[in-house]
Amino acid sequence: MRSRQSSLKLSDYSAKAMLGNRNSFALLLHRITRRIRQSLELEEILASTVAEVRSFLGTDRVKIYRFHGDGSGEVVAEAIRDQRLPSLLHHNFPAGDIPREARELFLSVRQRSIVNVSTQQIGISPFKPGSMMDIRFRKVDPCHVEYLTAMGVKSSLVVPILAEERLWGLLVSHHATPRQLGERELHLVQLIADQLEIAIAQSNLLSQTRLRAHQEQTINQIATLLHAAPQVPLQTVLEQTVIALQANGGRLYLHSHFSDHRSGQFPPQLFTTGPQPQIPASWLQDLDTPPNRNSTNQPSLLIPPTPSSSFGEAHEPPSPSSRPSSPSSPSSSPHLEQHPHWQTWLEMEEPSPVSSNLWAIADLYRAVMPSDLAIAFLTVQIRGLLIVRLYYQQQFLGYLSLFRGEIDFERIWAGRIDRNDPRQLRPRRSFETWRELKQGQSHPWSTADQELVRALADHFAMAIHQHLLYQQVCTLNSTLEQDIQQRKQAEQKISALNAELEQRVLQRTAELQQANSELSRQIADRERALTKLQQTQATLVRLGHQLELILNSVAEGIYGLDTQGIITFANPVAAKLLGYEVEDLIGQWMHQFFHHAKPDGTPYLAAESPIYLTMHNGTTHHCSEDRFQRADGTSFPVEYVSSPIREADQIVGAVVLFKDITARQQVEQMKDEFVSIVSHELRTPLTSIRSTLGLLASGWLNSYPEKSQRMLEIAFSNTNRLVRLISDILDIERIKFGKMPMQKQTCNATDLMLQSIDAMRAIAEKAGIQLSVAPISVTLWADPDRIIQTFTNLLNNAIKFSPSGSIVSLTAELHQAEPDYVLFRIKDQGVGIPADQLEAIFDRFQQVDASNSRSQGGTGLGLTICRGIVQQHQGQIWVESKLGEGSTFCFSLPLVTPDHHDSTL
Amino acid sequence: MTKHILIIEDEPDIREATQLCLEVAKGWKVSTACSSQEGVEKAVAEHPDAVLLDVMMPDVDGLATFAQLQAHPSTQHIPVILLTAKAQPDEQRRFAQLKVAGVITKPYDPLTLADQIAEVLEIR
Repeated sequence: MRSRQSSLKLSDYSAKAMLGNRNSFALLLHRITRRIRQSLELEEILASTVAEVRSFLGTDRVKIYRFHGDGSGEVVAEAIRDQRLPSLLHHNFPAGDIPREARELFLSVRQRSIVNVSTQQIGISPFKPGSMMDIRFRKVDPCHVEYLTAMGVKSSLVVPILAEERLWGLLVSHHATPRQLGERELHLVQLIADQLEIAIAQSNLLSQTRLRAHQEQTINQIATLLHAAPQVPLQTVLEQTVIALQANGGRLYLHSHFSDHRSGQFPPQLFTTGPQPQIPASWLQDLDTPPNRNSTNQPSLLIPPTPSSSFGEAHEPPSPSSRPSSPSSPSSSPHLEQHPHWQTWLEMEEPSPVSSNLWAIADLYRAVMPSDLAIAFLTVQIRGLLIVRLYYQQQFLGYLSLFRGEIDFERIWAGRIDRNDPRQLRPRRSFETWRELKQGQSHPWSTADQELVRALADHFAMAIHQHLLYQQVCTLNSTLEQDIQQRKQAEQKISALNAELEQRVLQRTAELQQANSELSRQIADRERALTKLQQTQATLVRLGHQLELILNSVAEGIYGLDTQGIITFANPVAAKLLGYEVEDLIGQWMHQFFHHAKPDGTPYLAAESPIYLTMHNGTTHHCSEDRFQRADGTSFPVEYVSSPIREADQIVGAVVLFKDITARQQVEQMKDEFVSIVSHELRTPLTSIRSTLGLLASGWLNSYPEKSQRMLEIAFSNTNRLVRLISDILDIERIKFGKMPMQKQTCNATDLMLQSIDAMRAIAEKAGIQLSVAPISVTLWADPDRIIQTFTNLLNNAIKFSPSGSIVSLTAELHQAEPDYVLFRIKDQGVGIPADQLEAIFDRFQQVDASNSRSQGGTGLGLTICRGIVQQHQGQIWVESKLGEGSTFCFSLPLVTPDHHDSTL
Repeated sequence: MTKHILIIEDEPDIREATQLCLEVAKGWKVSTACSSQEGVEKAVAEHPDAVLLDVMMPDVDGLATFAQLQAHPSTQHIPVILLTAKAQPDEQRRFAQLKVAGVITKPYDPLTLADQIAEVLEIR
């Protein structure tokens, strides 16, 4: 359309204005148009344009002046001929050089002017499409003349260039000498300006297209990075974004978000590039909780009020590959974006028209930002901020912030403004070139920048969301793998534990079994020990009983002494032998109490007593014939053994076992006497025999035959005596030891009595004794020979001890007290027996008159033998006698019983 | 030298045989007594050179008789030889303690009896 309009304008111009040099004019226009259209680059177009126009006009200098937004302007293209005028290319001119009224005229009526300084005239020609050139000349403003003159210009031509209904710039021709420019030149320059307007529009369109393409390329490039992989290289993308926006730094803050219940909350992440502000110290103090816990424990403080409440369910597993280059850690300081002041500030800051979630702060000095935050940025040479709050489907994700530092501007000015005339009432005198350098200037964010960032923010949001999802998946996977690993480890541990447990169980079982067996053994040992103990106790009890029984039943007296000789215990026999009760003995000092004396009755000194020696030396003493004193003062011979009582090698006393040996001494005495008597009784006849036979053998009696005969008789007589003696002794011994068997049988008492009388009749007659017999016819159970021996012994005794002429009678009768017995009596009329010897005469060699007995041929053993025989027949024998009145020897024998009959039969 | 020996012995057979033995062996004068009393009386009366005294006699035994002889001034110097059948060691020890001239145990050897008595007398 614009091209067609331009063509139309050119055709109009050709039809109306081209007069003589029509072809060259058209050619020029065509060439210019072609050159303009050859390039889409505005600079080239402008350069071509000024060159062609200067060539066409033949003036010294043609320039294109472009207005800035503030009314000032810059020479953007220039063509100079032969240096007739100084170059003003890229020189800036203040807004006052072209007053606002003039600029408005340029715009409203597209007023063109032709000034001729020499004529002081200015031709003004408003643009009227479709009409001829209408140039009205009037006197030029002196100031204008002075201005041009100062520039060395004598004539000028100015045509405004409009673009999109705004005053874009001016096409200006200067000439150092006066030159008349007319409608033709004006017309052509106007046509060229028209073409320029088209070219500028095209160039603008191209620039916009290029910008858009660049932006789209940037977006595509970043989006490609963002979406290329599930694992978003946010750090790289951030850096690319910073580059794309010509920023010198930036940061991407990802808000903390929750993962699943196992992964917990992901901490906030921060990716940075370039200089970064430090969070103000005052902000740290304002935080309620320590920073290292704030990020994870109190995300609600930091969540923007709008629009999401579901952010808590977002997930972002941190993975090593996407870890920020300046990563935050839970233990580091909190991030700016986490602080409530950040949100508060953004709410106060005016958002960009592009988006309510975008803030473009060109100059921090002009922001409503808290001063401490602004200082934090300015400290690191950050002058401008562009912040976009990232959302994905109502879910707040974080902030993308881009920084721009300060920049320096350099401008070349044509002449200095007169500082003393701010209104510029007077024209400038000099256009000498000077450079203006402005440092520390902000670098504002263009709308395109903001739109680009907004577009990128959407991609960022999607990518971050994807990133979070991926992290979540990774976390889940990681958690799952971790779970699996943990489970495997757990299973391994369980297996190991099981094995260990099993091992322990086995070991413990073995130990328990061992302990059990040990316990069983100990129990068995204890049971055995207990049994043994019980047995021992029972044994002790039994032994105690036995000891008591022994002590009580032994014939010997037993008593115990302590080391001081005090009686500690005594058995009843001891007490009885001593004539005391047991209680009387306990606690008594034995030595004094018993009047311990030697055999001859001499009292012992205590220290010399064998019992004392036992207690003090531990020696055992066996003594006999010492004497103890009874309670009644009499003493008796004792035989005792004193033995020490030892406990753990210590003598704690003595035990004395004693017995009364009175009876034994008597028996021994009797035995000694018996032996003495037997010896005497045997030696007596033997002496006779030996002496007589010796005399006979010596031959000394050869001459004395009577004496020899007498000696022989003596020898023979004593030989008989010796035979009887030996026979009686043997009988007594046999009876005594039961070696004389009784050949018992039924026999008649009468027969036995008569046989005995017959046997003794000769002796009796020789002694002049008359025998009388009164038999009884009873049947006896007896050994008849032994009974006859008894009768004859007793009859012989009676005969021996009866005076000649007396009567010895043998009678029998049934026992009155015991009807089963028959009682025999042998009565003499001898000297009788003293009453105190009535018992003794039955003992051995106890004849009342031994010499008499021996003179009677007795052995002294007859009565002893008789007693033995009678007792062997269960009978009794005794003597009744009075001295001088004779004696009656009596003995009883049992009558035969039916049993005896049976055995006989 | 002819000795006069008094035998006090209650056993007649021994008394007779001993008397004969001393008479025929040495030709000594031998008087006899059958009891202690008789023996003491004869000793006093006859003053024998020696008394052969039986120990075991009824009524008064030989030891008592010896005591009587020792107690009597006229007989206390007469050596007394005990003629005894008590041959137990303790009996012998008891005899040894007496102031007798000798002890001859029954049954004595008739061939040496007189020599034994002579030896005792010669020692004295």
